[in-house]
Amino acid sequence: MDNFEDLKRARGLDRRDVLKGMAGAAAVSMFAGPALAQAAKAEAPDLAKLAADGKLPKLADRIPANPLVINVEKVGKYGGALRRGLRGSADHNGILRLVGNQGLVRWNLAFTEVLPNVAEKWEVNANSTEFTFTLRKGMKWSDGKPFTADDVVFSIEDCAKNSELYKSVPSTLVIGGRPGTASKVDDNTVKFTFASPYALFLEIMATPLGQHPTLFCRHYASQFHPKYNPNVGDLAKAANLSGWPDLFRARNGDIEIPSRWSNPEKPTLDPWVIKEPYTGGATRVVMERNPYFWQVDQAGNQLPYIDRLTFNISQDVESLMLDAISGRLDIQERHIDTLQNKPTLSQNMQKGGYRLVELIASSSQQVQIYLNMTHKDPKMREMLGNKEFRQALSMGINRKEIIEIVYLGQSQPWQTGPRPGHPWEHKQLSTQFTDHDPKKANEILDRLGYNKKDGQGFRLRPDGQKVFFAIDVIPTLYPDAVDTLELVKRHWAEIGVDIKVNTIERALYYTRGDNNDHDAAVWPGPGGLDPMLDPRDYFAQHPQGSRYAIPWTQWYVSNGKDGQEPPESQKQRMKLFNEALATSDLKKRGEIMKQLMDLTAEAFETVGICLAVNAFGIVRNNLNNVPQKYPNAWSWPNPGPALPQQFFFS
Amino acid sequence: MLRFILSRLLWMVPALIVVSFMSFVLIQLPPGDYVTTYIATLAASNEIVDQNTAADLRSRFGLDQPMIVQYFKWITGILFRGDFGLSFEWQQPVSELIWERMALTLLLTFSTLIATWGIALPIGVFSAVKKYSIADYIVTFFSFLGLAIPSFLLALVLMYIAAVQFGQEVGGLFSEPYVNAPWSFGKVVDLLHHLWIPVIILAVSGTASLIRVMRANMLDELGKPYVTTARAKGLSEFHLLVKYPVRIALNPFISTIAWLLPNLVSGSIIVAIVLSLPTAGPLLLQSLMSQDMYLAGAFVLLICALTLVGALISDILLALADPRIRLE
Repeated sequence: MDNFEDLKRARGLDRRDVLKGMAGAAAVSMFAGPALAQAAKAEAPDLAKLAADGKLPKLADRIPANPLVINVEKVGKYGGALRRGLRGSADHNGILRLVGNQGLVRWNLAFTEVLPNVAEKWEVNANSTEFTFTLRKGMKWSDGKPFTADDVVFSIEDCAKNSELYKSVPSTLVIGGRPGTASKVDDNTVKFTFASPYALFLEIMATPLGQHPTLFCRHYASQFHPKYNPNVGDLAKAANLSGWPDLFRARNGDIEIPSRWSNPEKPTLDPWVIKEPYTGGATRVVMERNPYFWQVDQAGNQLPYIDRLTFNISQDVESLMLDAISGRLDIQERHIDTLQNKPTLSQNMQKGGYRLVELIASSSQQVQIYLNMTHKDPKMREMLGNKEFRQALSMGINRKEIIEIVYLGQSQPWQTGPRPGHPWEHKQLSTQFTDHDPKKANEILDRLGYNKKDGQGFRLRPDGQKVFFAIDVIPTLYPDAVDTLELVKRHWAEIGVDIKVNTIERALYYTRGDNNDHDAAVWPGPGGLDPMLDPRDYFAQHPQGSRYAIPWTQWYVSNGKDGQEPPESQKQRMKLFNEALATSDLKKRGEIMKQLMDLTAEAFETVGICLAVNAFGIVRNNLNNVPQKYPNAWSWPNPGPALPQQFFFS
Repeated sequence: MLRFILSRLLWMVPALIVVSFMSFVLIQLPPGDYVTTYIATLAASNEIVDQNTAADLRSRFGLDQPMIVQYFKWITGILFRGDFGLSFEWQQPVSELIWERMALTLLLTFSTLIATWGIALPIGVFSAVKKYSIADYIVTFFSFLGLAIPSFLLALVLMYIAAVQFGQEVGGLFSEPYVNAPWSFGKVVDLLHHLWIPVIILAVSGTASLIRVMRANMLDELGKPYVTTARAKGLSEFHLLVKYPVRIALNPFISTIAWLLPNLVSGSIIVAIVLSLPTAGPLLLQSLMSQDMYLAGAFVLLICALTLVGALISDILLALADPRIRLE
């Protein structure tokens, strides 16, 4: 159960390392670059041949003087094509996760520390308002043109902060309502300045949404930008598009839209570059090695080892399963990692020639029940907003039974909070009211005035209405949540509370949430490994996620202009979180977050069932250097930070 | 005849206007819009959309405007500029996306049609002529079986057997090296190698129902006095069958053309999805699922237009094939 501990053990980390790493920016200045700069010695045979024929510059001219050295488990050999599956629609992030996370910095394997990536080192000033990144000298885009500080400045100042291209600046670059500024110090040094402290900036830059600094290539993208090309309007018209922003997007993409992968001409910093693009009619996507990739292994071999990536596009997830069991996928977890598929995939391991790897849930809670404490109906609001009522509901759930039946015993009773073994684990927050105690629950409900019952044995509210609410759930996304809720319905019937498991389509689910029309809703509760990056269950932070009080979240994100004013405990937590965001000292930040979680535990807003269950992926037996365990998260966009560029076929 | 065709064509204009409006309303009816669906889809893989970006998307696509304004923009674009708009999801012109898939869709549909007719016609005639013989029972049994098995299930079972038992590549219309290769003799051969699986699967259910229709029609005709007369006059049995009853029994086949054309786009969606065929069906479904309005709208409009045209063509053909039918 103790996955976080396992993960650390697997990588030989001790608790001190983790603590040290949690901030990334813990140290005021950090020179985490490799101790020994490794000269590049070898390259893929086909590239060597091209270089020998003079069709490609020599290896030493293609990669930076100080390339990023990856300490691989086994030094690999070149060759092979990696096969992976995509779904037909809106699956562009399946490509992003494998290749597209080449930001200034990156995550370590344990998801605890920020490491150098495009930037070889960085310095942070004392109050975390200035971040100076040193780029790698001689680094090249995939078309062979130099990558310099100008590219970063262009991406931020001319693109991300351009109000025609982005109506509002991407939130990763904004702190305290004001966007930061990127400025060039010299060709290889770029400085980010913020108006207020932004201690989390480095961690955010390691997540997929923090990739803007390295997203747009100045010498290519500027031809679609009016500042550099006054005739861009004609270009857009010629392409039958309504304006230059459309054209810019169609050619250069954005972090997570399909057109990021639809233009083979666009230079990138990725290990593989697009050969057959991801477009509306595509049946597969092919990417080939970037001859200018700026990473080497400890022996000096230029990465990536694997020649080519092939993503086959399946319209149907079932046919993806078929591909998996017949051994036609080399690494896959996307779309097939549901609990129901696990037996089939385990049975066919030999036939398909693959092994299973464990994906450690980054979420905290498998099925978080969000009771709407800001319900539009005052009577419902009074009932669901009462902490003792929620406490009674929580104690009315037989979590052991649910874990046995629905999750095959692979979990433990849990509310919310950082996962076991995490330095910020909070016992009270995670385990309070998880014991099954129907007697006590009944006592509380009687005391609260719900002591009359109707003919079927359900409790009545003082106004004569049945104690009843509906819980929204999306069966197509989370079939296990539906099973869990059916059991919860039975458990709660025993304490006289009636619910409806309201299975609805996902767009309706979101619309009901956005309009604050729901009684209650379920969703996996995040914040298990990344409490700073997704604290939606710790206070009303996320306007589409903290579903127990959407109007409070609107109050928070609009700085008190919209929504409803939250109670004092929430306001304190909002203040504490903003304080934690500005605190670079990890120990201090931990203390602030402890205070925050104390308040969360005291308020007891969400009702949880069990610790989020680990998922799994399949990896072909001949694919090497794939860790046996790694996190499953969006902020750690698996398998990207496990570095697919150093996977190789034996 | 000419007047009939002209008046039918004129009537199509108001019909298409109504249909275009209806289809736009229908696509808008489900709760939420493209952006909600997009956020929800990404959330399903634990992925988060930047909140500023989401609000941005909505205003960029004009989803925050009233529906009537959106419709007006869309329809005037089509009428005056022939511009079907930009697919939200792919940021590509809608017409480009649709045409890209049309050629293979046409090929698949027509091969299926030929296979279906080629199997169904002779068998239907045969089982009517040999009514209640052993052979008729066997054919009837199989055609009921064909009717009863959903084609997607057949596709899944065949794929499973092919993939797991024979280790053969299934799904798609081309094998690996040919997918994006330019057209060549090898590619055509490769296509034929792959084409037969979907054709058979699609033909099975179509064949079964057509056999039943053909058999019933033939049985209606075979007892009629003109057949007896022809036989009494000494016509050979084969000649007799083909010249008279079969020709009359063909009417329902001609009527099928009316729904054949719209089927080009919307037919066999499930099978195409299961088999990962690069045809129009899966794209249509995708666009509806993701509420990619302009793409879905263009598809629905296309299907409606094809239905109207198909109905006209089959009316004309019926009149030509069967002198009893008058158009005026």
